[in-house]
Amino acid sequence: MDLISSILSITFLTQVFRMMTPYYFGANGANFSERGGVINISIEGFMNLSAFSFAMFGIISGNIFFSLLIAITINLIFSILFSWFTVKLKINQIIAGVGFNLFIAGLTKFLLMLIFGSSSNTHRFEGISDIDIFKKIPIIGGIVSDPLTLFCILLVFVSNFILYKTRFGLRLRSAGENPEAADTLGVRVRQYKFYGIMLSGILSALGGIWLASNQNSYSEGMIAGRGYIALAAMIIGKWKPVNIFFACLMFSAFEALEITLQISGTNIPTQLIQMLPYLITILVLIGFIGKTRPPAADGEAY
Amino acid sequence: MAWLMKSKLMLNFISVALSLFTTILIVVLLLLIIGKNPVEIFSLVLSEIFGSGYGIGQVLFKATPLIICGCGIAVCFHASLFNIGAEGQLNAGSFAIALSAYYFGFLPFPILIICCTLAGFIVSGIFGLIPALIKIKKDVSEVITTIMLNFIILALINYFLVEFFAVKATMRTEKINDDDFLFKLSDYIPFFQGSSVNASFFIALAISVIFYLLIYKTTFGYKLRAVGFNQTASKYIGINTGKILLLSFFIGAGITSLVGLNYIFGYKGYYELGFSNNLGFTAIAVSLLAKNNPIGIILSSLLFAILDYGGLSVNQLVPKEIMLLIQGIIILSLLSIDKAVKIYFERKGMA
Repeated sequence: MDLISSILSITFLTQVFRMMTPYYFGANGANFSERGGVINISIEGFMNLSAFSFAMFGIISGNIFFSLLIAITINLIFSILFSWFTVKLKINQIIAGVGFNLFIAGLTKFLLMLIFGSSSNTHRFEGISDIDIFKKIPIIGGIVSDPLTLFCILLVFVSNFILYKTRFGLRLRSAGENPEAADTLGVRVRQYKFYGIMLSGILSALGGIWLASNQNSYSEGMIAGRGYIALAAMIIGKWKPVNIFFACLMFSAFEALEITLQISGTNIPTQLIQMLPYLITILVLIGFIGKTRPPAADGEAY
Repeated sequence: MAWLMKSKLMLNFISVALSLFTTILIVVLLLLIIGKNPVEIFSLVLSEIFGSGYGIGQVLFKATPLIICGCGIAVCFHASLFNIGAEGQLNAGSFAIALSAYYFGFLPFPILIICCTLAGFIVSGIFGLIPALIKIKKDVSEVITTIMLNFIILALINYFLVEFFAVKATMRTEKINDDDFLFKLSDYIPFFQGSSVNASFFIALAISVIFYLLIYKTTFGYKLRAVGFNQTASKYIGINTGKILLLSFFIGAGITSLVGLNYIFGYKGYYELGFSNNLGFTAIAVSLLAKNNPIGIILSSLLFAILDYGGLSVNQLVPKEIMLLIQGIIILSLLSIDKAVKIYFERKGMA
């Protein structure tokens, strides 16, 4: 009974919405990249990088907005590098993604040791604080008051609008569905792929930033596969911003449940809940639960 | 045809040499920026490694799992399959090896190690079959399924360890019998005194020979490369592509499990969660650097092992994590320079 009441509480709901934030930033970012036809499995690495740079510059400068901007800029540079690899040089996207993940993992471990003299974590810093005004709004204010989470929810509508209602979205999607046809019609296909990857870099940066800010520090391995869960959410969400949002909510509900179970000390093994997101993704891909289809030219160089 | 092979080999050589050179350049710059003396650090690494039998032994020891896992991944690469799931597969296999080694400890050693090898190979192989089956039946890319399986396998092992097999308050299995260990090279060659390099280094070399014979000298290998080169064309000339994909994933994943022989029979005597430390991903880099060539895999494994051990030896001067960074730089510069060289020569019409 204790367990059920703690799951049905407002705190639980708050937790679900909060934890959804990094997943949705990652998944939505990956979606922009894949809609342009580029598979970006280095979302994990990108989130790791931004979490680290946000923490590092936050500690050094003491200014959150400054470090936020720097972290986004660094990710932007890396995503431009990634698109140079995959779009310009046409290196296999999966291999490039694995390479970037390895490189970023090495980079952050090295800098963590070099700058903070620790192989595990940075010291604490003050993260992004909640917005007080929102707490006063009835119902919603109790659940969501984190500015990044709020932006995340706003992003659902914005991304949906960009992808389906703007010229940019149409061209981006055409680059991912049928680049030859788009090219014939005068769309600068490669340029749009670049944009898609840059958006994925910026958005995944926000995901990493949220994680570091929420924990008030950076620690080695803190992303813990969230970038891959984000990819899974994108697949289950059928490459649609709104559906992805609900997939992310489902995964964050699993994560919140896992924590609640650990605290309540029941004998339900948490490891099995941990693997649910991945298992569900495979089942969805096989077609047991719904049908899903990637953009037609996803993963192909053009 | 011969000149083409030669020129391709030449191209590969040029791009690997260029990217290693670029890496060294970047690293020297990096060291200068953080105010260290590159000459001092490089000479320290070299003297620590080649100055003693212990250093060389440790490098061979660290190269062993990379060679094994690199070969496993390369089998899949030859069939144009991206096995990102080696990390999970090798953990599943090693877990099976450790458990069977403990529970069948009463068997005589030669029989025991054969049984354990088979157990590991089959368990890993089955986890390799899953993405292959999904790919064939449902046309779903193996990349996503293998990534997802990594997490599923690790969570399952975690569950089984905690609930059934782990030694209390640890995340490892029971230790195998003391007389069931593989011999250390230092038992016979005093030169390697103190280092952990053991008989599984020879197993790794044997695997790379078998890998070479399988890929380049058998009909199966020929078909596998044909499928990797052009799946549609292979189908039309009557190759059962589905069977080839299944087999190459089974064999490739199976091989990766054998890294457990080094850790369990040659080093610690038990399976421990997290022992692989991203080996499955590093081995992808090894295999790429080697262009999936067996001799190349041995050489690039040695290079990565030198970096790994070299990091420990310079830890006083510069964080050992710099070697992870160098591995990353190598892989990114190889990928980009390799492609740039190809584009350059294509424009010149030479290849």
